Amino acid sequence: MDVVKIMDEKKRNVSLNRPVEHDTTQFIVTQLGGEQYGIDIKYISNIIRMSKITRVPKVPNYIKGVINVRGVVIPTISLRLKMGLPEDEVTKKTRIIILTLEQHESIGVLVDEVKEVVTLDEDHIERMGYEKDEKERFLSGVGKSDGKLISLLDITSVLAEVVDV
Amino acid sequence: MDTSQYLDIFLDESKEHLQNLSDQIMDLEQNPENMDTINEIFRAAHSLKGMAGTMGYKRMQTLTHDMENVFSEVRNGTFKVLPGMIDILFKSLDALEEYVNNIQQTTEEGTNDNQDLIDALNSILKNNGEVVLGESSASAKTEEPVASSAQDAGANTKREKWQEIKITDTERMLVDKAYSEGLKAFGVTVYVEEACVLKAARAFLVFKALEKLGEIIVSSPTAQDIEDEKFDLTFSLILISANTTEEIIEAVKSVSEIEEAFCAEYTSAKEEKPAAPEKVVESKTVEESKPAATASPAMSKTVPAPAQTPVPTAKPAVAPTSSSSASSSSKPAAKPVVNRTVRVDIEKLDNLMNLVSELIIAKNSLISATAADDNKGDNGSVNEQIEYLESVTTNLHESVMKVRMVPIESVVAKFPRMIRDLSKKLNKKMELYMTGEDTELDRTVVDEIGDPLMHMLRNSADHGLEPNDVRVANGKPEVGSIFLDAYQDGNNVVIEVRDDGGGINVEAVRNKAIERGTVTPEQAETMTEKEIIDLLFLPSFSTAKKVSDVSGRGVGLDVVKSKIESLSGEVEVKNRFGEGSSWIIRLPLTLAIIQALMVVIGDEKYAIALGSIQTIEDVLPEDIKLVQAKEVIHIRGTVIPIIRMDKVLDMPPREGDKNKNLTVIIVKKGEKQAGLVVDELIGQQEVVIKSMGKYIKVPKMISGATILGNGEVALILDTNALI
Repeated sequence: MDVVKIMDEKKRNVSLNRPVEHDTTQFIVTQLGGEQYGIDIKYISNIIRMSKITRVPKVPNYIKGVINVRGVVIPTISLRLKMGLPEDEVTKKTRIIILTLEQHESIGVLVDEVKEVVTLDEDHIERMGYEKDEKERFLSGVGKSDGKLISLLDITSVLAEVVDV
Repeated sequence: MDTSQYLDIFLDESKEHLQNLSDQIMDLEQNPENMDTINEIFRAAHSLKGMAGTMGYKRMQTLTHDMENVFSEVRNGTFKVLPGMIDILFKSLDALEEYVNNIQQTTEEGTNDNQDLIDALNSILKNNGEVVLGESSASAKTEEPVASSAQDAGANTKREKWQEIKITDTERMLVDKAYSEGLKAFGVTVYVEEACVLKAARAFLVFKALEKLGEIIVSSPTAQDIEDEKFDLTFSLILISANTTEEIIEAVKSVSEIEEAFCAEYTSAKEEKPAAPEKVVESKTVEESKPAATASPAMSKTVPAPAQTPVPTAKPAVAPTSSSSASSSSKPAAKPVVNRTVRVDIEKLDNLMNLVSELIIAKNSLISATAADDNKGDNGSVNEQIEYLESVTTNLHESVMKVRMVPIESVVAKFPRMIRDLSKKLNKKMELYMTGEDTELDRTVVDEIGDPLMHMLRNSADHGLEPNDVRVANGKPEVGSIFLDAYQDGNNVVIEVRDDGGGINVEAVRNKAIERGTVTPEQAETMTEKEIIDLLFLPSFSTAKKVSDVSGRGVGLDVVKSKIESLSGEVEVKNRFGEGSSWIIRLPLTLAIIQALMVVIGDEKYAIALGSIQTIEDVLPEDIKLVQAKEVIHIRGTVIPIIRMDKVLDMPPREGDKNKNLTVIIVKKGEKQAGLVVDELIGQQEVVIKSMGKYIKVPKMISGATILGNGEVALILDTNALI
């Protein structure tokens, strides 16, 4: 009996030590043009440095081509072109973020820079209304962190359009 | 009891049993008297019933049980197999298959009781089998096979299953020889107690006990099957011994859990004999058993009176050399070679294949790394090791590929049954001949190939073969023949569906195409026979005069074609009007790793499958001629259109000398050819085909991607889409 009690006690302690579970989401903050965009961390399987992208002929211009990530061929798109921004300029800071939505199906997105990871709770996220302009089509909301505004990317809608093409 | 964990095994094994049943019933239809077939059917039905019962599928169990009852009566000889019965049995099989399919999809067997089938099966039992078997009362006293009472003999015959054992010439020779040596042959049938748990072990002890008395020359089921417990409660054997029947029965009964044993002198005299024996020559080996067998008519006379001295002419046949080699080959221990197999989840194999692919990529990168280092000193030993690594990876790749290969048998096995049904439905007599069922293909390909083949066979049965009366009028055999031949041809597997029917009426297709507006009459006029036949592969193009249940709805051939092409294969038609047509499917052995030629176009690297390349030509710019505003070259008597790959791939043409020679790769697709202009050749390489994911819709001319030694991705060109 005693043993069971002790065990119970222990369990309770462990759960007390955990941070309080609010509705929080972690985002990776990336730089694209002059703005910062957040990508939900649950979609991200890897962030890699710029590597050689193999062009694929006869595809829309925002599909940059395919890359090799640990033996898997992954198509890579330019978020800039997708969102109507000027063409990417590859620098030392350029990164490819590998997103995995479904099992075994991944896609890479080019970003100018990866800044940091922020944790936002629901109170600090302003959800978008239904009226979205061209650029806002891919946004799910705007988050506030340390006085900065971060546009939160709606990854599923970005990729839904890629698949449609 | 939770049986869900056994569900997979149940499904697999049920399907196997169903297929087996189907095959055997087909066989039974041809040879209604074949006891082996009937026994096999009974065994399969019995196992199926047991499995269904264990898994709690009551309806399935009931239906199988009733089928088993019918077979059991057939097996006991109560009544014979009649054509009507076969139909009901097939319907029952279909019903069982439906149960299994339901189980596979929902884990429930469904609610269809199939009462009509059960009634039909029961009525077979009632109408033909009014004799209720009272065989269990058969007495153990069976020393005299030629019993005075005919009725007793009948009852005993049923129990003495050893009389059903079919013996080969070699075994017959052994029996004959035994008598000539003063020994006797006995037929023994052993019944194990129903409650016996370790049947195989008991059987083993019986074999052991009998081997002390003499030599077992044949058993039914085989020694291997008995060892594997593949028998019901009874097994039979033929023993050569100097002992008496009583001693033999005693020996058998000394083993516990044996319910009953029958033993009688084995008489082979009733078997048919080859006529007119030649003068018997001395035969030293078992292989030369023919003369010995011809000696047996003379020998068989001695069987009822074994004490009599053997007929002298037979003596040479039992020369000592022959006896020793014969006896060694007849030991029950000489098991038939049975493949030992393991069921493996296909996902695990995919995983293994992926790892092998990784290894090959790593090997390729090693090669390119050392090649870059080559000019910096001596690399001899490293190169040697790399060559060794290369041969190991190649072997590994081949082995893994072989593991993934399965015989196409699993797919084609259902076709004889389908043709039989079609034959009835279409009211045409036809016969399917299959060869090469053991030809192996990658598992993924085999899974996909079934439907296209079915379409083509149906086509042959429905459109290809003429009605029987027309055939006779045209001087052909009444029964139409359809052939399905499979064989390996280099790195391809070829499956050919052929019929001896009327062939494709090219004029009818041409007229139909004009009527449909597929082509204009002017176009049709200039089209070759091959081009006309290709029209058949267009969607919604069917020449069947009437829409039948079987085919003629205009779907099919286009589906066949797209399916085969999705497997990187191709379909070719050979047609001889009036004599038949053949449809040839060519499939690659594997889809994962290919030999490719690496080329440079612009500043990008591409891979072209070596299989589609015919030659590589060095062409002077002035040799390129214009025909109808298209560039062609003239090579060895053929005019070949050329394709500028940089243009096709949207690449700016390379700067440089316009008058430089062009590198042209001649590729073929069936009979068609084209020349691809590339900028540079790199060389031959083994490449691993990788999928490009579903987020990117690649153009048709790109069949996939591969990873090069330096980690870069190169695209694989599908030349078929370019021609």
